[in-house]
Amino acid sequence: MALLDLQGVTKDYPLGSTTVNALRGLDLSIERGEIVAIMGPSGSGKSTLMHILGALDAPTDGEARFQGQDLRDLSEDALVTLRGRKVGFVFQTFNLIQTLTAQQNVELPMTFLGVRRGERAERARALLAKVGLAERVGHRPNELSGGERQRVAIARALANDPEILLADEPTGNLDSETGATILRLLKQLCEDEEKTMILITHDPDAAAIADRIVRLRDGRVVEEVRHVH
Amino acid sequence: MFIEFLRLAGQSVLHRKLRSILAVLGVLIGIMAVVMLISFGLSLKGLMTGEVSKVFGVDTFMIMDENVFSRSHSNTVKEYALDLETLRGVEGVKTVAAVRQRTAFIQGGTDDSGKAQQGFFPVMGLSPELLTDFTAFTGDLVFEEGGRQIAETDVDVAVVRRQLADRLGVGVGDAILIAGEKSNEITATVIGILAASEEKEQDQEFGMSMSASSADTIYIPYATMDRLWPEGNDFLVTVARTLPGYEVDEVADRAEAALKAEGSRVAAITSGDITSLIDQWMTYINIFLAGLAGISLLVGGVGVMNTMFTSVLERTKDIGVMKAVGAKNRHILAVFLIESGLIGLFGGVIGTMFGLGAAALICLMINALTSMPGGAAFPFIASPTLIAATLVGAFALGAVSGLWPAWRAARMPVVDALRYE
Repeated sequence: MALLDLQGVTKDYPLGSTTVNALRGLDLSIERGEIVAIMGPSGSGKSTLMHILGALDAPTDGEARFQGQDLRDLSEDALVTLRGRKVGFVFQTFNLIQTLTAQQNVELPMTFLGVRRGERAERARALLAKVGLAERVGHRPNELSGGERQRVAIARALANDPEILLADEPTGNLDSETGATILRLLKQLCEDEEKTMILITHDPDAAAIADRIVRLRDGRVVEEVRHVH
Repeated sequence: MFIEFLRLAGQSVLHRKLRSILAVLGVLIGIMAVVMLISFGLSLKGLMTGEVSKVFGVDTFMIMDENVFSRSHSNTVKEYALDLETLRGVEGVKTVAAVRQRTAFIQGGTDDSGKAQQGFFPVMGLSPELLTDFTAFTGDLVFEEGGRQIAETDVDVAVVRRQLADRLGVGVGDAILIAGEKSNEITATVIGILAASEEKEQDQEFGMSMSASSADTIYIPYATMDRLWPEGNDFLVTVARTLPGYEVDEVADRAEAALKAEGSRVAAITSGDITSLIDQWMTYINIFLAGLAGISLLVGGVGVMNTMFTSVLERTKDIGVMKAVGAKNRHILAVFLIESGLIGLFGGVIGTMFGLGAAALICLMINALTSMPGGAAFPFIASPTLIAATLVGAFALGAVSGLWPAWRAARMPVVDALRYE
């Protein structure tokens, strides 16, 4: 069984007085342990697809199954729990909570799942050490560089040991050298922790670490390329 | 999980220092007004009930005109008739003292041209018991040198104030003529002159504020009053003390019934009656004060709400992120409610301190600037119930003001929140 399985997915949302058809019958299947890059021009539906793959949003029509479970059958709270446990997000703009330290940011997903304090702190420190920030646990985001912030975000994404990492333009706000380091780190982590990763990107260098590249246009998959590393 | 939310909310409050301080200030002013006004109300009540118990004691009751507390009645003291012997005969009554008042023609000395000084002036007859057993009613009286208070065995004597002594042209040892009913007439010797004191004038009144005493009043012994006006229908105030072991309220009820049975239109009043009257008035005053303070609290609450809406808007992206990493709607609601509750609580703590401080200062100032009968002072009362209720109320005010913004935050769709720039 595929980890993620999308069949004929459409997504419409209102924008002012018109309706945007962001996804128009999209089929996509992602297997466990794969690294998949999703590419496409602006407006091709990349972000909308990411929202559905990350259980942030349900499709208007079609089937979206997460480990065989149709997302449309889940309540809002069940969706929250699903993404809390199974999905780790890495965003282009890092999206750390500015008022919290690196460690507190990493602890946050565990807090919402009710993990005990001691366990949380220990795991957060271990994850920060894994992304090379053992010395920076007490720093707040504004005391960290862009690359460091993205490392904190990656550690946070791994907090609840998710099945899948969803990275939306993770190198979009970083210089190329730092970006390359982050990509290497992501790939390394996926291999070490046996994670599935979906990488949404414009950047061909980013896409290069993927096992498979999926190209979108106008809300449909137009091309799939399998990489042989 | 509450601790984590408290930390999230607390850090958010601290992060936006200036705005938080302003919102806290809004609450602070409201709470300060509430605490100050209520504390002052408590002080006022404390003063009044303290004075009542000082004058009355626990074993004393008063007989007054039955309409004394009715609202249609004017606030002048009405005279009434009663038989003191009936009152003395009531079971449980130990001592009785009375004050009678009449207006009489008075003639004093002569002026330089030999013209007699005369006129109509109020005359008060004081029972000897009043001067011996109920000194709290007369207060501290200051006599000019050579003068003295009326004694139990005195007959045909009078005490006047300095102002009246001047008008009548008399001094201690001089005689004045008092004309009573029909042809009853006595010549009384002035035995004491009460020192004139502008400031202390209030202190010098017999029977305190209950009496219609003025600077013109002539005080004579009760027995002399009886001789001048045998008809005792001019009682101003009558006080009775109960025997030990008797309930003052029961004795007062018996006395009232006995006197009414004889046709006296009187009411027996105990300190409990006056205290409950004060309580009733204080309730009105407190409702009025609470209304005033409530307005400033409302303004404070609106301030918190405004701050929270801004905070929610500013943290839209954070809300999206928190929801993306597993925060349920109720988690978001809790974080924002705690945040607004904290603003309320901070305002409450500081406002309570300031409010108590202001109330203490007002009491100090009133005590320093005014002097009250018998050296009474405004007591400063810091009620623990008030403090506890205020702090709980301040947190609730903050939380309630934050309810709408927090609800909006919690309901925000995660995708929209994440997209928000």
